[in-house]
Amino acid sequence: MSNKNVAIAGISTSRVTKNFETSIKDLSFKIVKEALANAQIPKEDVDGFFVTNPGMAGHPYCMLACDLADYLQLETKSLALMETGGTSSFTALHFALDEILSGRTKVNLVLGIDSRAKEVIDDFKSFITDGIMTQTSLYGSYKGPYGIGAPIPYYAMSTQRYLYEQKLTEEDLAEVSVRLRENASRNPRALYQKPISVEEVMASPYLSPPIKLLDCSPFASGAAACVLVSPEVAKDLKEEPIYITGIGEHHHPSHFIPLKDSLTESIAIREAGAEAFASAGIKPADVDVAEVYGVFSGTELMILEDLDFFKKGKAALAFKEGKTALDGEVAVDPSGGRLSLGHPPSATPMMELVEIVEQLRGEAGERQVKNARVGLVHAEHGMLNGSIVLILEKK
Amino acid sequence: MKEIIDQVSLRAIEQYGDSFTQEYYRRLKERTFCTTRCQECGEMWYPPKPFCPKCYCEKVAWVELSGKGKLYAFTQQERSLRFSKPDVIGLVELDEDIGRILTRIEAKFEELEIGMEMKVSFIDISNELTLHQFVPVK
Repeated sequence: MSNKNVAIAGISTSRVTKNFETSIKDLSFKIVKEALANAQIPKEDVDGFFVTNPGMAGHPYCMLACDLADYLQLETKSLALMETGGTSSFTALHFALDEILSGRTKVNLVLGIDSRAKEVIDDFKSFITDGIMTQTSLYGSYKGPYGIGAPIPYYAMSTQRYLYEQKLTEEDLAEVSVRLRENASRNPRALYQKPISVEEVMASPYLSPPIKLLDCSPFASGAAACVLVSPEVAKDLKEEPIYITGIGEHHHPSHFIPLKDSLTESIAIREAGAEAFASAGIKPADVDVAEVYGVFSGTELMILEDLDFFKKGKAALAFKEGKTALDGEVAVDPSGGRLSLGHPPSATPMMELVEIVEQLRGEAGERQVKNARVGLVHAEHGMLNGSIVLILEKK
Repeated sequence: MKEIIDQVSLRAIEQYGDSFTQEYYRRLKERTFCTTRCQECGEMWYPPKPFCPKCYCEKVAWVELSGKGKLYAFTQQERSLRFSKPDVIGLVELDEDIGRILTRIEAKFEELEIGMEMKVSFIDISNELTLHQFVPVK
């Protein structure tokens, strides 16, 4: 069976906030209820439920998928928690898609959830212990001891190489932040909505040079879900759904810093993108609107180039010339992107998907891309070490 | 507090490492910068592993690295748990052509340039833990 007829029947997303106002359970219920209502499908029809780890900031959750299935009273034929860092929610979605294609399930619910706020622990010893163990778990026994927390220094070195290799400047990067904020100013869900100027980006403090505060996505909390349905279920839906017409996935054998391969051109994104375009039978130029997982301004440019929207080193100029604007050649990150929408990693790809589905349905309000028919959604993990790309289409 | 950080760091290195990790750090403490080479196919790999990632052969031997290389990229951490700030971090491409390694750079950020010749030195974090760092070759 071709994947071209698996449909997204319903979507739901929270706003992006620094901290959750409610517990993960309360929020999961709200998002799941809204996604099912959006699909106009009763909860009894759900036969597959796939969730992500709720981030790495708080205490670990054990058997969260099983616990949530009990909490939400979902009886299923397939249940899993998927964890691959930034691609987690799409790893879950890819598995859900394959379960439908195999014929085992018909209505799959996929939930991405991430609580980023670090809990303040009064006991300093526990706080330090948690921090060091998490860092070393994430970066390994050879990089871990250098005391890097959030992966900003890794991306800073990739960005430094990008500017060096492509002869670009920090002002070129600033343009990206400005354009994304422009989009966010039309998105009531975005964490940051107030427009900014190149001067303001340039004047923001360095986090790790050349990355400045306004080149960086803010870690945030949020949740989003979608309801995937089989072709038979799709036929009987009250509203015309959006179809997943292409999917690509690739993982380079590296974690954060590739030993020898480029820091500025991602093999994983090139491969995943090529597979997604080929399976949908389309070219990058056919895409009307895209949401990509660019968590820093320079990274955003590299991703767009590796997806073949622009030649290597040319994406910055494309931003400047308005080619990525809502009325440009390809509207990029109408949501405001990671930099302005905010970035809850385990939920981020699902939020990108929600934005593209709304764009293709024509429900994106002030930030609607005119006549959007073909959309692309991109996710990555580590430092562009692995990638999943989806092509979504309105039929 | 430093004592707690040192203690937990050692535990973390052990927990998230493999059977060769402690030997690697023991050698660093003795001021030798080493990795492993496959005795079958000759592949050298950093960081060291108890097997060859290329051919999965388990006959590997420790080899000392020259400790020389070129600066591939560098940045500065404004906040570091381990080192006083600002702390310069870099990637050094080793002369042995086995890729780039993440390390601390013992120099001012402003003095550095991509492509600079670098050489290894060692920094004692505690009585138990020594890390490699690189300094520009003057």
